[in-house]
Amino acid sequence: MNETALQAVAVHKRYRLGRQEIPVLRGVDLAVARGETVALLGASGAGKSTLLHVLGLLDAPSAGEIRFDGRRVDDLPVRERAALRHRHVGFVFQFYHLIPELTALQNVLLAQMMAISPLAYWRVRKQARADAEAMLERVGLQDRLRHRPTELSGGERQRVAIARALMASPQALLADEPTGNLDSHTAAGVCELLFDIQRQRGLALLLVTHDEGLARRCHRTVRMKDGVVER
Amino acid sequence: MYRLFLALRYLLTRPINVLGMAGITISVWALVVVVSLFSGFLQVVESHVHAASADVVVGDLPAWSDWRKVEAALRDDPNVAGVAPRLLHFGILSRPGHRPPTPPLPGRSALHGGDQPFLFVQGVEPVAETEVTGFAGWLADPAIPSELRCESAPLAPAAAGPTVLVGLDRMRRDGLRRGDRVLLTTAQLRGDGKGGKTPVKVQLDLVVGGAFKTAHSGFDGNTVFVAASLLRTAMFPDQPDWAPEAAVRVRDAATLDATAERLQRAVIAVVERDGHGFGTAQTWRQRNAQFLESIAHQRGLMQLVLVIIMVVAAFLMLATLSMMVTEKVSDIGILTAMGGTPRGVASVFLACGIVITGCGVVAGLALGVVTGVYLEEVRRAVRWTTGIDLFPIDVYNLDRVPCAIEPMWLAQVAGMALAVGILVSFLPAWRAARHDPLVSLRGL
Ligand SMILES: Nc1ncnc2c1ncn2[C@@H]1O[C@H](COP(=O)(O)OP(=O)(O)OP(=O)(O)O)[C@@H](O)[C@H]1O
Ligand SMILES: [Mg+2]
Repeated sequence: MNETALQAVAVHKRYRLGRQEIPVLRGVDLAVARGETVALLGASGAGKSTLLHVLGLLDAPSAGEIRFDGRRVDDLPVRERAALRHRHVGFVFQFYHLIPELTALQNVLLAQMMAISPLAYWRVRKQARADAEAMLERVGLQDRLRHRPTELSGGERQRVAIARALMASPQALLADEPTGNLDSHTAAGVCELLFDIQRQRGLALLLVTHDEGLARRCHRTVRMKDGVVER
Repeated sequence: MYRLFLALRYLLTRPINVLGMAGITISVWALVVVVSLFSGFLQVVESHVHAASADVVVGDLPAWSDWRKVEAALRDDPNVAGVAPRLLHFGILSRPGHRPPTPPLPGRSALHGGDQPFLFVQGVEPVAETEVTGFAGWLADPAIPSELRCESAPLAPAAAGPTVLVGLDRMRRDGLRRGDRVLLTTAQLRGDGKGGKTPVKVQLDLVVGGAFKTAHSGFDGNTVFVAASLLRTAMFPDQPDWAPEAAVRVRDAATLDATAERLQRAVIAVVERDGHGFGTAQTWRQRNAQFLESIAHQRGLMQLVLVIIMVVAAFLMLATLSMMVTEKVSDIGILTAMGGTPRGVASVFLACGIVITGCGVVAGLALGVVTGVYLEEVRRAVRWTTGIDLFPIDVYNLDRVPCAIEPMWLAQVAGMALAVGILVSFLPAWRAARHDPLVSLRGL
């Protein structure tokens, strides 16, 4: 068995709405190993996105633990959690979230700038640029380097987002309905790319989806309902 | 790195931010130019005033004081290079048989004298006066035409009577020539024998000996020189040993204030009666403090107004930055997911403010310095195109608009602008920091 890259242990998440507390996650246990692909299925509002955010340290669990490579990380200080988000996990979202002011290349380069000072970046700028170009080539966008997000199709935007997520060489990829906004043909291409890269790099991939066909291509399928994982 | 990079990209894609920058540039520019103009003007006026003054004047010497003792005490000081007695009175100069001249354009000379009839009558001893001021130079100024120039020894009595020296501009305006007869009319309070005092008219027949010219036209317009002995005989015949004022020249101007204080103590020690010392020593700066401070005060008011404008400019920047934050909060989610801390992401907007302020300050300083250096050319261009004279240099005896760009002031302006700009930038950044990054990530 490979080591677990990402793990949720008895995770609870409650949101407070005024006086009311809304339980969204109610004791979720989930582990994703290196090289493993896990599909996360469930009705809308089941808490899939919430689990993804908590697992990626974007949101803090109300109770329970998050572990990266077996080490507890949800109780670390803000800065260390941010650094782990940068290094350990890559996110891909349904709505791409590219920065409209930047070109495809700059969007990818931005990922490299996140954790270093301007001076440090200046020293590695050539390498960083070459890496970003190589990454965009890897996702098939070598002719779209200078395009703004508005000048790219949905599929191309998602490829840029994938390139960006991979730029810091994370061990885990968290994808929240990455094809939810794409037609089936484009979606297939993007999925192909995702699985390809996952295999090549031995990533842990957690894929939130409504597509049963896509789920079947994963090693494992996990279903959520009302904030718990169905057995 | 991402902060600086994003801040620059955000700014470059939003030309509206130029507005915020322009506001800061303009306010910095105005602060540099206006204050440098005032500082330059103040420097020029100070130098003019100084050129027409003795370094230190010891005044308020009582009528019973002994000039010889005062002079000896003053000369005793190591920093004193020369001492001269002065008698000061007032009077009206008129030409018998001539109509009084028409007054000059109103407003032009109120500050600088010339249109009011009352004059300061300075009684000086020419030799001693030459020792303490530029008196000899004032009579030899190249601007004085030969027919108005004093030819004999200054203030030496002419065949027709005692002489008076009149400021060049007043000579010209009144149409006076060397050798003209003038009447100096003045008055004095004298004891009436019953314990009271009554004003007594005193008139002196004088001959114009020549013109003088200092750099300070206000002094020239309001002053005439006569021999000290003449004034003493006419006004104070009972006090042959008295001079109400002593003009002093110092050797080292750097220690002027300390010297004045020493002279004050020295004169109090010799002019003493019933345990009270008399006499006050004032530097030229102190004697003209009101005039000089009024300019400094105007400069201070301008500074205040312009700093307020700078704050307004900073609010303009706040408005453009706030618009940007409203538009860009949607990027906060992904930046957080990519490994930014909430504070770090918010500081992108702070960086925007700092970049705008920094560029505005640099542009404003550069523009301000260039405008300051070429202020005279700017004045001419404005006068040529619009007919408006921004600064009447001829009134002040200048050939250029004065301008003193002080590095200290540039640093202060830059510091103030940066402080205000950065302070204001914290507001949008703070708003961004409070924004929940997950809101945009949920795809809303
Ligand atoms: N900030 C919040 N405050 C209150 N309730 C919230 C908040 N965020 C999410 N929720 C609730 O949590 C529940 C789970 O949301 P979540 O986005 O995880 O669902 P999901 O499984 O991803 O659904 P979908 O398939 O539609 O994306 C929803 O009922 C939602 O209303
Ligand atoms: Mg969801």
